[in-house]
Amino acid sequence: MKSAFKWLFLSSAFILALTSCKKDKVPVNEEELITTVKLNFTEVGTSTVTTATFRDIDGEGGNPPSLFETVNLLAGRSYQVRIELLNESVSPAENITDEVVAEANDHQFYFQPSGVAVAVTNLDTDGNGFPLGVNSVWTAAAAGTGTLRLTLKHKPGIKANNDPVTVGDTDIELDWDVQVN
Amino acid sequence: MQHCSKKYHAVVIFASMYQILRRIILIILLVAGADLGLKAQCTLRFSGQVRDADTREWLHAAVVRINELGITRVTDSLGRFSMEGLCPGHYDVVISHVGCETLYTHIHISADFSKEYSLPHASMQLGTVTVVGTLQSSMNREDLKGRELESVRGLSLGESLARINGVTTLQTGTNIYKPVIHGLHSNRVIILNNGIRQEGQQWGNEHAPEIDPYIANRVSVIKGASSLRYGSDAIGGVVLVEPKLLRAIPGTGGEINLAGFSNNRMGVLSGIMEGNLKKTPAFSWRAQGTVRRGGNAKTPGYWLENSGLSEYNFSLTAGWRKANWGTELYFSQFNTELGIFSGSHIGNVTDLMQVINAGTPPDYIRSAGFSYQIDRPRQEVQHNLIRSKTFFQTGNKGRFNILASWQYNNRLEYDKKRFQSSDESPQLDLSIGTAALDLVWDHNLIRGFRGTIGLSGAYQDNAYSRRLFIPNYRMQTGAIFWMEKWEKGKWLLDAGIRYDWRNMYDINNNDGKGYPKQQYQSASGQFGIYYNLKPGMQWYANLSTAWRAPHVNELYSDGLHHGAARIEKGDSSLVPERSNSLQLGMQWETGRWNISVNAYQKRIDDFIYLEPVFPPQLSIRGAFPAFRFTQNNAWLTGFDASVSYAWTHHIVSQTRVSVLRARNRETKDWLIQMPADRIEQELQYEFNNGKKIRESYLKARLQYVFRQSRVPATGQIEIIRPDGTKELAADYMPAPDAYTLLGIEAGAQVLVGKRLFSVSLSVSNLLDQEYRDYMNSFRYYADEMGRNIAFRIKIPFNF
Repeated sequence: MKSAFKWLFLSSAFILALTSCKKDKVPVNEEELITTVKLNFTEVGTSTVTTATFRDIDGEGGNPPSLFETVNLLAGRSYQVRIELLNESVSPAENITDEVVAEANDHQFYFQPSGVAVAVTNLDTDGNGFPLGVNSVWTAAAAGTGTLRLTLKHKPGIKANNDPVTVGDTDIELDWDVQVN
Repeated sequence: MQHCSKKYHAVVIFASMYQILRRIILIILLVAGADLGLKAQCTLRFSGQVRDADTREWLHAAVVRINELGITRVTDSLGRFSMEGLCPGHYDVVISHVGCETLYTHIHISADFSKEYSLPHASMQLGTVTVVGTLQSSMNREDLKGRELESVRGLSLGESLARINGVTTLQTGTNIYKPVIHGLHSNRVIILNNGIRQEGQQWGNEHAPEIDPYIANRVSVIKGASSLRYGSDAIGGVVLVEPKLLRAIPGTGGEINLAGFSNNRMGVLSGIMEGNLKKTPAFSWRAQGTVRRGGNAKTPGYWLENSGLSEYNFSLTAGWRKANWGTELYFSQFNTELGIFSGSHIGNVTDLMQVINAGTPPDYIRSAGFSYQIDRPRQEVQHNLIRSKTFFQTGNKGRFNILASWQYNNRLEYDKKRFQSSDESPQLDLSIGTAALDLVWDHNLIRGFRGTIGLSGAYQDNAYSRRLFIPNYRMQTGAIFWMEKWEKGKWLLDAGIRYDWRNMYDINNNDGKGYPKQQYQSASGQFGIYYNLKPGMQWYANLSTAWRAPHVNELYSDGLHHGAARIEKGDSSLVPERSNSLQLGMQWETGRWNISVNAYQKRIDDFIYLEPVFPPQLSIRGAFPAFRFTQNNAWLTGFDASVSYAWTHHIVSQTRVSVLRARNRETKDWLIQMPADRIEQELQYEFNNGKKIRESYLKARLQYVFRQSRVPATGQIEIIRPDGTKELAADYMPAPDAYTLLGIEAGAQVLVGKRLFSVSLSVSNLLDQEYRDYMNSFRYYADEMGRNIAFRIKIPFNF
């Protein structure tokens, strides 16, 4: 009986040792992560380029965002805006904008200014002619401060014309502080 | 690789632990053997009640006889009999009555037990009945077996357990159910799968127990912390999933169970085959398997997109049993794939408030139809268990048991994909391996005492890959326990002590960040009185103290909880919680009445819970409310009561009430997420037995669940109401309204040839009521399942 006991004990320890070894420590699915949003402004009629950046390297939770810049615009001017999405948790940084563009039919950016006279127009479109918003034109009418909510919606198979912002899942929702001088 | 080399270290620890344990066993054996001055006595009690199977009247003057011992008893006017002084073992029992068919049955006694027998008029031979005893003690234990268990076949374990008064469920949609005992769940409830403590990722609200309920012929719940046998953590209670004993009579037999459900078009097939060899009667075996496949569930108004499930499980058992020793080897595997309702995987708080304010999922989710397809988001879980159980009699003094087990659990969680081009791999990959050894000596009567002494040790290794939610860790646990029971006349006293050690170390994440190791140790204890006031009436009181060490998620979790739209943070400075509880109860059975009441009061010091912190945490998807694990003193008090009355031999009504109050003693506020009070009314009609159809019955059940009005008054979650007003609350959505559910059930046993088939038809949510339950985390997103018609059939076979 004693030997049976010994056998059982050692074999269970052995099996445990064998099986828990097979586990590989696979890193996080980096491509799922968007760490950085850059708004690149080119003042229409000039070559003046400015940028506003949001950065949260470790994603949701963990440490708070390390950077969330104010958007500075000049009253009466228009800007060509290109949105750049990056995953900077890997090196070299991965460009997520390309993937949004590649699957433009499933994605849409929304721009909702609040308390500030900024109009967002001329959104670029996807293959079906529906708005996409990676490129847009922002026009600042008058001086003031407020916010602009930038939302990226993921709506596989359900994107339609004149969709409200409520449709689909939210990938990005950032309330940018906007200062128009 | 470095990770692996540490494993050999573990083997060495095991080997040295083995040496120590062997010495302790030898000492125990020597102590037991040294006690020669005492004559061992056999003191088990076998009692029961005999009724007429056809008229359902209690049978007076039926003769109950144990063949091997020649003991005979005659039942009293209420059909009751009782035999004292039995030794543990197997016995053939013969029950006869003038005008009735004699019943031959086989019992296995390891403790006191009681059973009801029915004697048929018809000239049929009944199959052999094997029953295991229930210990009479001051603990509040309730069983789900026989017809009650049959009527929940095909459902998940958690859902089945909700039939027991005082047990509710913590739900995530229509597939994931966790048992809640007296308001406590997850790490505060221990689930024993065939005698082995289930070690999965049970900390998570959406991690259902990985157990196939078809392995069991009895599922029991011990409410409260009075059971010290299974672990200190069980301050809520213990769930025991127990298979029947292996076949002891030569031959091969088994049963096939089929179940079909209308709502999600789920089909269940489960089979058991078992045998005992004529040539080597010591050897018995059993093979068992279950397949469950269901599609989208339907609420009264719409289909729940992606709520299907696919499950397959099997188990194998082999046993060798001699008079003085026996051994059993058991292997089981559980595999499940669960769809998570796509309307629940919301991107951020704005999306969450939208679906709450709309009161219904968006059109493009509601427009889904029926499908068996399981897409992302989904879970895939596998659980493996190997267990060996060996016992040998230590003379007449008692029995020594060795329980060794190994478990491996792997959980994969797949989120929605951000891009079609994203790869197919899961976002969360958790695996946990556990090896455990229990050495237990049950002793027979020594100076009026019967009891159990034991040692228990386990080693656990938790590893994750991909997204971090809880870190990697290793853990060693050890425990020593001693429980005794003393019985004299109408009194029974029981008491026990237990000491536990827990050492959690090598805690790190895959980026190499280490966390402080944690060591905990403390004692638990229990004392109870059980008093047989008169036949059929018992009172009991139980006082217990138990503790629970903070688990890894409470210490170190750090991340976004997708379904709950919140960021959860652990706190490594948490200390163990301590529960001191008192349970009082009464059972009273007369010919017509059957009343049981169980009242409890638990004071939990340093109760660990999630507390919202301000301000919310900013992320790329907007601000998420942040929660951190914190602790405070709490008390939980309540009662479960059940009253049944037999109006005639055919009509029985039963009322069940369950009430719970849970307070934070420091903030003088209610605790969040506690089950609401409920009341249930059942009315059952039993038909007379016919020649071909027996045990047929018709049952109606009305359940009323109150609105949970006892929730924290204020909180730190900023919510925006549909009219645009902002307010701070403890929850995104107020508790759902009260609801009433009506269900009906009919069943019978039908004799087909020589086989007795069991068939039943039941309808739950008969009126297709729209409702939401406070304990379902998907109450934000969708209604509960609508009407569900279930058909079940059990076909036994015997060669």
